[in-house]
Amino acid sequence: MGVTILTQFNTENRSGPQNIEILSKRILALGATQQGQFLVDCETYTSVPQLGHQRTVHVLHNSEQPATVFSLLETGAKTIPLATDGLFDLLMMKMSHFYTSKKQTKSESKGPRYEIGDFCVKLGTVTVSSNFKGVLVEVEYRPCVVPAMCWDLLKEFLQGFLGLSGPTTPPTYLQNRMQENYSPIDTIHQYLEHFTMFRKSPGIGMRP
Amino acid sequence: MSAPGNAMDSLSAALKCNIIPNQEYLLQGSVLDQYVEVLLHRLRGLCDNVDSGPESFHDHELCFSLRIANTGATTPMSVFSLRVRRALDVSDTPYQLRYIGQQELGDKNRPTVVRSSIDMACSSTIVDFLTELGCRVDFEYIARGYMFRKGRMKITVSKIFKMGGNKPGETVEPISQSYLVELSVLAPSGQDAIAEDMRIFAEQLRPLVQLEKIDYKRLGNIM
Amino acid sequence: MERDIEQLNSALSAIKVLRSNVRNVFDSVSNGLRADHGDEGKESKFVHELQELLTTVNNNLRDVENAVSNLTPPPGAFSLGNTTYLSQETTQERQALYGQLVNSYKWTDKIREYSAVAGNILAANSFNKTYKTFSTTKRRKTQTSNHNVPPEVIENLITSIDRLFPDVTFTTNRPLVPNPVIQVSLGRVLKAIIAFKGLMIEWVAVKAHAESNDLWAESRYKVFRKVTENCHAAMCHFHSPMMPELAVRSFMHWFHSYNTLFSAPCKRCGNHLHTTLPPTWRDLRTLEPYHEECK
Repeated sequence: MGVTILTQFNTENRSGPQNIEILSKRILALGATQQGQFLVDCETYTSVPQLGHQRTVHVLHNSEQPATVFSLLETGAKTIPLATDGLFDLLMMKMSHFYTSKKQTKSESKGPRYEIGDFCVKLGTVTVSSNFKGVLVEVEYRPCVVPAMCWDLLKEFLQGFLGLSGPTTPPTYLQNRMQENYSPIDTIHQYLEHFTMFRKSPGIGMRP
Repeated sequence: MSAPGNAMDSLSAALKCNIIPNQEYLLQGSVLDQYVEVLLHRLRGLCDNVDSGPESFHDHELCFSLRIANTGATTPMSVFSLRVRRALDVSDTPYQLRYIGQQELGDKNRPTVVRSSIDMACSSTIVDFLTELGCRVDFEYIARGYMFRKGRMKITVSKIFKMGGNKPGETVEPISQSYLVELSVLAPSGQDAIAEDMRIFAEQLRPLVQLEKIDYKRLGNIM
Repeated sequence: MERDIEQLNSALSAIKVLRSNVRNVFDSVSNGLRADHGDEGKESKFVHELQELLTTVNNNLRDVENAVSNLTPPPGAFSLGNTTYLSQETTQERQALYGQLVNSYKWTDKIREYSAVAGNILAANSFNKTYKTFSTTKRRKTQTSNHNVPPEVIENLITSIDRLFPDVTFTTNRPLVPNPVIQVSLGRVLKAIIAFKGLMIEWVAVKAHAESNDLWAESRYKVFRKVTENCHAAMCHFHSPMMPELAVRSFMHWFHSYNTLFSAPCKRCGNHLHTTLPPTWRDLRTLEPYHEECK
């Protein structure tokens, strides 16, 4: 598990599949090989009014860690991460009296997964309750675990591959954690950050 | 190269195939401190893990419950209880989170208590997570004892201690002069044959320990 | 000591005299009557001569006894080394010692001869793999063996290097006592498993922290496989049988420069990446980072 940077790809005037196709061509030209598909999904549950002030539980799955369920609890004041076995989903079903799922916010990012050298690149088409929202590019540099050490290197890779629309600063979530050891839950935090942004943005209205 | 399936879809598929062990078959009993050695000796002879000796454990268990505060007269009170267990003797093991549903005693012909149970490993943030989720700690205790296996059956013989002080493990006081003995199997629902196996095994421990279906509701009335 | 030897010598010469005079007695007895005894009274002459000879022998014997009584007996038993075994087996054929002795004699002789020649040639054409110079003869300490040194020496070397770099942590384990395998963690960047043969570095494997400590399994990451390759090159480069401690020290110094493996751009092209790898080469003298293609 190495440092992962998640970034939106400027869609300009192209549709989702077109964007993915362009990026796929670029990454293949650089010498990458496709290694299957990936999927990250997120479902959000909110507490019932009887439980007092509102709390939100985001339950995420990442195909990179298929046996784990990640949950992020937002209380308003703080966010608490939790990693559990797959059966956590079953527990959330049992808790439906207390926490109800908001179906219209079900988000996912899925698409092809490439490997190039020690990098792993995922091109995700993002949908929120089946509406196309944009393209998320995930780049992981697997040998390194400290974001501060390899940020410049990742930036160079992203810019070489995304052109000018590559990021110039680390993701906001990582900015305070540049010196800490990176772990899979950090990737989940970044996905949630982007999903939240996509949910707020008006839909592009195109089905992927 | 097929796309990875949605996690919820695969979960519901697993539920449909009935491969998730979500039912616990349970018998409970107790044995006085002075006879526990005899029981351990007998279990060592009966169980599978003989050569390696019994596996010891020393766990701290916290019982949380989530309840809806303002229950009107018309709506029944909704309670949801969860248990968190962590090993005190082994570091860097994951915490264990467990949901235990209402127990069904069934009629006389059913040999064991059956209750739904969801068991999973989790990260150490679980205590914070549950507290912020709205759960409150009902009670906590420390269990120390031995675990045996016989096929799919799990037998635990443990001493229960009250929590003393703020730091766990500092000063602990035993709750009673006896050990709790539990015989349980976690299995997918509908596998009632295992209950019969458990009854036969429990027979072999008599009269040292009487493993029975314990009705908590009745215990509540006694107290 | 001096006196002991003197006495021993005089005792030995007394024995020599005794032996020669005893021989004279037997000579004279075996010859019997000779012409020079004359005709008359030749028997009595012969007996007289024999008596004289025997008196001399008697005197000599007394001398020997005196000399021997003056000797101090050696304290305790003698340690004769391997030669004691010679008494165990006396048949020459079964010992087959002679042939072996001749062979080993020839061998040592050849070694002497060859090493003398090699020494001359090497002295004339000195080639040093490293940048060091052996100008001062004082520094050229003769180290008899680098691969068979006491464990404490290696231990001291490792601890002294450990003290040199605060961000490097060393863990040693010794499956074979004189040849430790150490694990070197370079900050949070990487770790290396280094096997020693005495004071010399025998093998290096570079890996990510999360990977196993197996000395023979390769890292799953391309970048660490490349660094391992370069470490092997450096290991050979710094190798110096004359000064093994310095070799290990220079290697560790060079290795330490990998703490910027991910963060330092290439000195030549200024980029971080080249064929998806960061600069995996460190210059042996300046320790500057280069891509393999840029060095």
